[in-house]
Amino acid sequence: MTARGTVAVAGVGTSHFGRQPDRDLLTLAYDAVREAFSDAGSERVDAVWVGTVFAPAGVAQRVLRAMGITGIPIVTVENACASGTTAFVEAHEAVRTGRHGRVLALGLEQMSTAFSGAITPETTDPEGRTGLAMPAMYAMSAARYLHTGAVTPEQLAAVSVKNHAHAVHNPRAQYSGHHTVEQVLASRMIADPLTLLQCCPTSDGAAAAVLTPATGAAGEVVVRGAALRSGTPWNHRSPHVWGHDVVADTTRDALAAADLDAASDADVLEVHDAFTIGEIVTTEALGLVPPGEGGKAAAGGVTALGGAHPVNPSGGLLSRGHPLGATGLAQIAEITWQLRGRCGARQVEGARLGLVETMGGGVSVLDGNACVVTVLESR
Amino acid sequence: MSSPTGADPRPAIRRTAEGDWVVVGRRCRACAEPVAYAWPRCPSCGSAVEPAHFGPRGTVWSSTVVRIAVPGHAPPYSLAYVDLDDGPRVLAHVPGRNADEPTPIGSTARLIGVSDDGDLQVEVTG
Repeated sequence: MTARGTVAVAGVGTSHFGRQPDRDLLTLAYDAVREAFSDAGSERVDAVWVGTVFAPAGVAQRVLRAMGITGIPIVTVENACASGTTAFVEAHEAVRTGRHGRVLALGLEQMSTAFSGAITPETTDPEGRTGLAMPAMYAMSAARYLHTGAVTPEQLAAVSVKNHAHAVHNPRAQYSGHHTVEQVLASRMIADPLTLLQCCPTSDGAAAAVLTPATGAAGEVVVRGAALRSGTPWNHRSPHVWGHDVVADTTRDALAAADLDAASDADVLEVHDAFTIGEIVTTEALGLVPPGEGGKAAAGGVTALGGAHPVNPSGGLLSRGHPLGATGLAQIAEITWQLRGRCGARQVEGARLGLVETMGGGVSVLDGNACVVTVLESR
Repeated sequence: MSSPTGADPRPAIRRTAEGDWVVVGRRCRACAEPVAYAWPRCPSCGSAVEPAHFGPRGTVWSSTVVRIAVPGHAPPYSLAYVDLDDGPRVLAHVPGRNADEPTPIGSTARLIGVSDDGDLQVEVTG
């Protein structure tokens, strides 16, 4: 490490989220980058980190050259669902250490043209080859939680109800609506006990952030702390369900970096809710609620807008959509807007401290391919 | 989209002289971690490993029924994570069960070989 400096999120932008098979990654990325540049008040960047999972090789240079961004360091990173926030923390580190002055972090994904339905499990992975689709992986956690009494079916469904209701106030969200717990539970079964409305949709989209050294201006949104970890073995010895420990460990790192005592210090959070059980396990792993209380918190409004710890005001992955590589930066954009007080009917009043958590998996035996936790603050 | 070509990544199994199916894996010489795969080092601590057999008996840690189309697998199909006795947690198909009903968690189970497609299979024993 060389210089230590505070890094600002100078601008953010996103495309619309949804099935957009008639568009391409180039136009989706341009929507996000154009808005981020406009927000930052400058089109100058010295380097770019791009997060994507399924985009073709060369996608970063292919989309960026179409907007005249050439000749500077451009790096593509892949960390499953945490690819976008991986790009963000690497861009953050590049600015923090003085390696680059202004850095663009861009996440993008077009799922609708890559898969006919859910993500095809990776056949070079033992459990992927065995047919463990992503919903089934999360279903294993949900079934275990139900078995131990850590959650009820109604509490699982409450996460979907909450996040779809939040998304009603997010014009960029893929889905929204005022569902009931009964409707969520009655939707088509995907992988027992997870029903369709408990699973994130197939989404296309892009999101971007421009990072710069902080200026100290009033109201500036800065990165207070960030951390990234990859998972360790998850097995018969693990006391928790899949993914819990990598989220807990990464959170501890991020809170230490941010000099905070607890995730509950955050006024607003965007977390990885690819499936309802994911948000429940994550709120527990973050330490936002006690172990086994995640479902109760969702059903009781603790994690809803207006509750003590609002989680996923954007609608989360369940409703905004989950274009894998774009998701982390869409979360960063939402928290940045929240900290600037620009979220209209989904605004968390007076939010000054926000937390973003993203985790990605799919490599069997590991607790997760990667988890990223970032704390943003309005100065 | 990847198609199943190249080496099969799934656990290798073989039948013992007693007729039991066992997973041919590795055990760490340093931390005793059981691994269902013939990997060169322990995924937990990086130490040297030695060949080890696991199974045939275990306990169902969790289960689900997959009801969406997955290439190479016809839905619905029943999956379980089974903690093999003194062994690793393995993902296995549970053939022959009512597909509307996930395998009861906490059941005892036994390895019964692999499917025609090469997927590890268990049956519930209690």
